[in-house]
Parts: sequence; C-alpha cells; structure tokens
Amino acid sequence: MSDSPMFWRIVRRLLTSNYSRLFVILLALGAGAAITSALLNLQIDAKRRLTTEFRSLGANVIIAPRSMANVGGSNSSSADETDARQRTLDEGVLPQLPAEYEGKRVPAVAFLYVIGEVAKAGTLHYEPAVIAGTQGQGLTEIRPGKRTEYSAELSGDPAACEVGVKAAGQFKVTAGDGLLLRNQGRQASCKIYAVIATGGAEDTQIFTSLKTAQELSELPGRISLVQLSVTGTPEAVKQFIANVSEKISGADVHGIKQLAEAEGKLYNRISGLLSATVVLVLILTSLCVMAGMSNVAIERKNDVGLMKAIGGSIRRVVRLFLAEAILMGIAGGLVGSAVGLLVSIWLGKAVFGVAAQPRWIVYPISVIITVIVSVASAFPLRRLASISPASVFRGEA
Amino acid sequence: MLTMAALALGMAVATAALSVSLDVGDRLAQEFRSLGANLLVTPEADSLPLEIGGVDYRPANAGAYLPVEDLGKLKTIFWRFNIMAFAPILEAPVVASAIHDGRPVETPGNFTLIGTWSDKRVPIPDGTTYETGVSKTNPWWHVEGKWFNDSSRQCVVGSAFAKRFGLLKGDYLSVMARPGNGHVIGLSLEIVGILNTGGSEDEGIVASLDTAQTLLDRPGQYRRLYVSALTKPEDAFARKDPKTMTPAEFDTWYCTPYISAIALQISQELKGTDVRVIRRVAEGEGNVLTRVRTLLWLVTFAALLAAALAVGASAAASVIERRTEIGLMKALGAGSGLVAVLLAAEQLLLAFVGGGIGYCVGIVLARLLGERIFGFAPEPKMFVLFVILSLAALITLLGSAFPLRRASRYEPAPILRGE
Repeated sequence: MSDSPMFWRIVRRLLTSNYSRLFVILLALGAGAAITSALLNLQIDAKRRLTTEFRSLGANVIIAPRSMANVGGSNSSSADETDARQRTLDEGVLPQLPAEYEGKRVPAVAFLYVIGEVAKAGTLHYEPAVIAGTQGQGLTEIRPGKRTEYSAELSGDPAACEVGVKAAGQFKVTAGDGLLLRNQGRQASCKIYAVIATGGAEDTQIFTSLKTAQELSELPGRISLVQLSVTGTPEAVKQFIANVSEKISGADVHGIKQLAEAEGKLYNRISGLLSATVVLVLILTSLCVMAGMSNVAIERKNDVGLMKAIGGSIRRVVRLFLAEAILMGIAGGLVGSAVGLLVSIWLGKAVFGVAAQPRWIVYPISVIITVIVSVASAFPLRRLASISPASVFRGEA
Repeated sequence: MLTMAALALGMAVATAALSVSLDVGDRLAQEFRSLGANLLVTPEADSLPLEIGGVDYRPANAGAYLPVEDLGKLKTIFWRFNIMAFAPILEAPVVASAIHDGRPVETPGNFTLIGTWSDKRVPIPDGTTYETGVSKTNPWWHVEGKWFNDSSRQCVVGSAFAKRFGLLKGDYLSVMARPGNGHVIGLSLEIVGILNTGGSEDEGIVASLDTAQTLLDRPGQYRRLYVSALTKPEDAFARKDPKTMTPAEFDTWYCTPYISAIALQISQELKGTDVRVIRRVAEGEGNVLTRVRTLLWLVTFAALLAAALAVGASAAASVIERRTEIGLMKALGAGSGLVAVLLAAEQLLLAFVGGGIGYCVGIVLARLLGERIFGFAPEPKMFVLFVILSLAALITLLGSAFPLRRASRYEPAPILRGE
C-alpha cells in the first residue's frame, strides 16, 4: 500500500481524537472480554470440579469375581472350600490398579467380607456380624460418612479396627474398647479406634485389616472385591473401566449403575445449563459493544463526509474503520481477558472453595472473540457508506 | 429502534436467566433423587443385620420386623410433600427350580428373593391413596419386559440369574423357603421381566412384598424401608444437635426440610423404628447442589450485568442521536429541565414497552432452554415480570443520565449549525 503511512496516521488520529469516547469503547470491549474469559474459564473449571464433587458419593467402580453366585452366604459352613475360593479374587489385583487417572488420584480399597461372630472383650456373649477386612488407599473416600468417635493414638495400630455405629450400639462398645472376633474356631481380637456412621450397610459392619479377615476365613491372599472412586466425566470413567478390565483378567469390572446414571444425567444437565448461559451472556456482551460502536458511527458523519468529498472511496473509508475496530478489539481484549481470568480465579474460590485454575487456552480464545465482536460491531459504520457529503456539510441529519 | 431492540433482547435474556435459575434449584434437587433413597428405616430393637452388597444374610427367624400398615403415615408428616417415594423390603432366602419352555430347569444353590412394591397404591390415613414403589425409589433398576404386579404371583429375575439358567420372560419359577418353624412353603411365580441393576440384585429374584411375606409366614411385615425425600442441603445450622437448640431454633429446624428433620419426623410417625440418613447420598447431593446453585446465581448475575451494560449503552446512543432535536427545543425556549424530563419520559416508555416485549420473548427462551436441558418448562412468574420492568426502567434511566446531563449543557446554536 503506497499510502500506508497516511493510512495509519488517519487511524491514529481516529483513535486519539476523542479520548473520552475511546475510553468508553475500550471499557465496553474490556468488560465484554472480562466477562467472556471469566465465564469460559469458570465453566471449564466448574465442569471438572463437578466430577470431583460427585466423588463425595463414594466408590463408583467395583472389581468383583466373575461368578454368578452370591457373595458370602449365611450357610458358608455348608459351602465347600473351592466354592468359597471361586467367590473371591486374588489380592494381587490391587497393586495392578493404576494409582492415578487423568492426573487425579484413584482411591482403591480391597474388601474381604466374612460373616463371623463378635463379642465385646471381657464378655462371652457372641453375636453374628459382618467382618470386613480392608486394605488399600483412601478408605474414607470409598466409604463416605462421618466418624462419631475417634481415638487418634490407636489409629496407627495395625491391629486396630473401626466399628459401624449400629454394631457399636449392639455390642455396647466405644472407641478404645476391645473386640473378640471368631469364625469356625479361628479367633482374633482388635482394639476399636473409630466408630463410623454412613447410613448404609457399613453401619453394621466391623472393619479390620485384610490380614485378620483372611485368617478368620482361612482364605489367605483372597479378597471379595475392590472398590474404586474414579474422578472424571461419565465417558472418562467408562474408558477407565475398559482399560482396567483389559488389564485384569478373570474379574468383572463394572461401574455402580446407581451413581453412573445419576451422575451422567446431572453432569449433562448442569454443563448444558452453564454452556447455554455463557452463550447468552456472550451475545449480550457483543450487543453492548455494538451499541457503543453505533455512537461512534453517528459522531463520525462529518469526518466521513469530508473524506468522501476529497475523493476517498467507500472501501478505503470502511478499511480505516475496520483497522480501528481491530486495534480497539485487541487492546480491549488483551486487558479485559486478563482481568477476567483473575476474576474467575477468585470466583472459583467463592463457588467451590478452591481457586479456579486459569486455563491458558481461554486467554487467546477470549481475545479472538473480542476482536470478532469488535469487528462485527463495526457493522453500524456501514451506514456511513450511504452518506452523501453534500447533505452532511449542509448540516442535515 | 436500535435501543428498543437492544432493550428487548437484553431483557429477554435477563428474563430467561432469571426464570431458569429460580426454577432450577427445585428441579436439580428432584434430579438428584435419581441417586435413590437418602433415608433408611430399620426396626429399633433388632439383631445386627448381616448385610453384604445389599443382601441381608440373617435367617428369617432372627431380628425384628415392622408393620406395613403404618406406611401410609409417611404422607402425614410435616414435610409429606417432600417424600418422593418409598419402598419396603423383605428378603427371603429361597431355593428355586424353573420351567423353561415347558421343561424343568435345575437351578441349584441358595438365592435371595427380594419382596418389595413395584408400583403400589398405598392408602393414606386422610382417605386418599399414594402410588409408590421400588421403580420410583431406584430409577436405575431397569426391567426388560415389565414389572411384576403387586397383587399377583409374578416376579422379575436378575439378569445374571436369567443368563446363568437360560431363563426368559414367560417362564415359571417355583421357589421354596423355610420360615423357621419346620414348615416348607413353596410358591410358583411367573417371570414377567429381567431386571438389570448392576448390583447384587442381578443374581436374585424380585417379587411382590406379599410373595415374600407368604414365603416367610410374616403377613403384613417388612424389614427395611427406603425413603427418597427432597431435602434442603445441610448448612451449619442443620449440623447443630437438635437437643441443644432453643425452642425457637428447634421450630425453625423442624420446619425446614433438612434431612435430619425429616428423619426425626418419620421416626415420630413410625413407632419403634430407627431412621438413618444414607450419608453418601445426602452429603454428595448437598455438596453438589450448593455449589451448582451458587454458580447459577453467579452466571445469572453476569447475564443481568451484561444485559444492563447493553441496554445502558444503547440508551446512551439514542440520546446522542437526539442532539439536533434537543438543540431545536432549546432554541424554541425549552429549559434544560423540561428537555431532560421529556427525554427521560421517552426512555421510560421505551423501557416499559421494550421490557414487556423482552419479557415475552424471554419466557419463550426460558421454555426452550428448560425443555432442552431439563425436559420441563419453567412457569412464568409475575415476580419476574416486575423485576424485569423495574430493571429496564432503572437501567435506561441510568444509561441515559450521563448523555442527558451533557445534552442539558448543549448550546443550541452550534448544534443547529451542524457542528
């Protein structure tokens, strides 16, 4: 372009001729960019955070033996050894499981259920109860609930056990008491370090180390099932299940349908709602910028009339205004998006209690959106093309 | 025209956002009920259940039972409308044999027959009936075929059970149980569906509560009750121990649909029961719901802010456009005050018309959004119309205040000259 210095000179003059107007437009664009980037970032973060929140529902994946028969059984005395073995898994499954999935820790706990008899230490009144041997990381995440009693000094003891709140009431025990466990002549004992309340079947169970349960049931190296709590979107959890079942043969890996279905439905609804609102807000923001720009178009009538009168073609005039719009879009976008990202970090803290991680991909996207909006908002300037210089100079509207 | 369009569009979005977020809290709470029951009712004086994977392995003569006839009282508690569904459970250990295509099929082993309601009309003390059952409390239980009828000898069998013995719907199953007094009770059941739950029920049989009661010789009794209730997420107040509350605090707590309050009301109505909160469901629901609600209000606020900016900016634009008219009015002797009043009146008129149109469009938009995302249409609320109209008036006035102030300082002569 031979007259490019002149072109940029005019653009510079267009921008700087009226500082208050420039300020208003940049404010509009900046605010738009800020809202865009804050909402986009919050939306991405919220969707991820939602999958984490769902994990307060507890385990969502189970690895169980590929057997048709029921697990456990009250008349296990009549069931033969091989049958009992068939209904369990090898404990070697546990170390094979991935410790992390998509950057999130995967709590996994192996359980072995024994229906044995339990008595408070010092009494001989035995009553049948379910004894669950556990081993693995993250039992509290697998089995959400609250500890109604807790004795910290015993918690490190490998021979200590946890008791469900109903079982504790039945045996009249509290934290610090001892329990006697027995099953078909085999005996064990443990000291209670916590009483837990979950509202589920766990309230009636006694949680010991896996080893104790294996000794009581004479099933060394066996487990009933593994429970995992996998964080991720419904698709990601499905993929995880597929990966693990490929790796572990002879076991049935499946999601807990109750959670999977409800989570999938809720996730889709909430993320759909968020996306819809974000799109609406973006439309409004561009509307706001467009209104600001139409102000400019009106004020520019005289300038355009003059340009046309001295022989400027419509294309060149429009190009001038486009260049102006793009420059303002970039400036407003760069500043506004940065502010928006900062705001979203703070908003994330307000909503989820954890600062939202800024996703850097949001920054360029929201700058680009701002530029596009700014250029699209230059649309009212097209009206200028139809201005006839003579009427402008006469002072007509 | 542009101002009007911007105003209408902005207010439409504000209306849609506001109506959806007003409704969405209740909607989401209902969606969470697809997680299943959040309250479990068991007999107060009971031996320890031997429950593994949802199946109770106690023999039939051990432990306590509860009367079914009391269940209608669940719909008489203070928060009766928040009780979405309930289902009593009675499990019977059985041996079975099947008839497939007219030929007998051996089904060795012990199985659990779960007796419950599929879709039962429960009489309520006030004379009406209420329809509930396990198909409502556990919506993830899918039946291929149909659910059993509560008043006939039908059953659905678990998918693993059906696959193992090659059974299809239309086959017959005869089950036998020992109620514990030396008798053996047998029943023949028609298989009407295959149940898929993803849990231990897949290996069992599910039949009507009456079937299980007959098998165990326990007429009119059940052992466990699952209740699905709509609740308010627990906050700091809800975690206080009701026993330490002042009477006023207790009243507030009792009249708020906290899960602990509903649990207390149920245990007052059903004598001799122990009502426990299923923590994983209740707490998970509470966490997610609180966060999503805050998030939604935040986004709604952003939408309102953006709408305000858009409307304010276009109101400002429309005043600037009026410069020549203002000049003319002033030249004819109108004072600044009169000009401002005239323009403000015009903006207000615009605000009401634009706000009204925006409200109508917004209601349609909210319906579309609601139906796409939640499969429901939010009810139009007069409250929203009121908020939108005042918002529109306030924003247009604020948006035009700055240009109006400038307009009042205009000297008529230069404007009329076209400068």
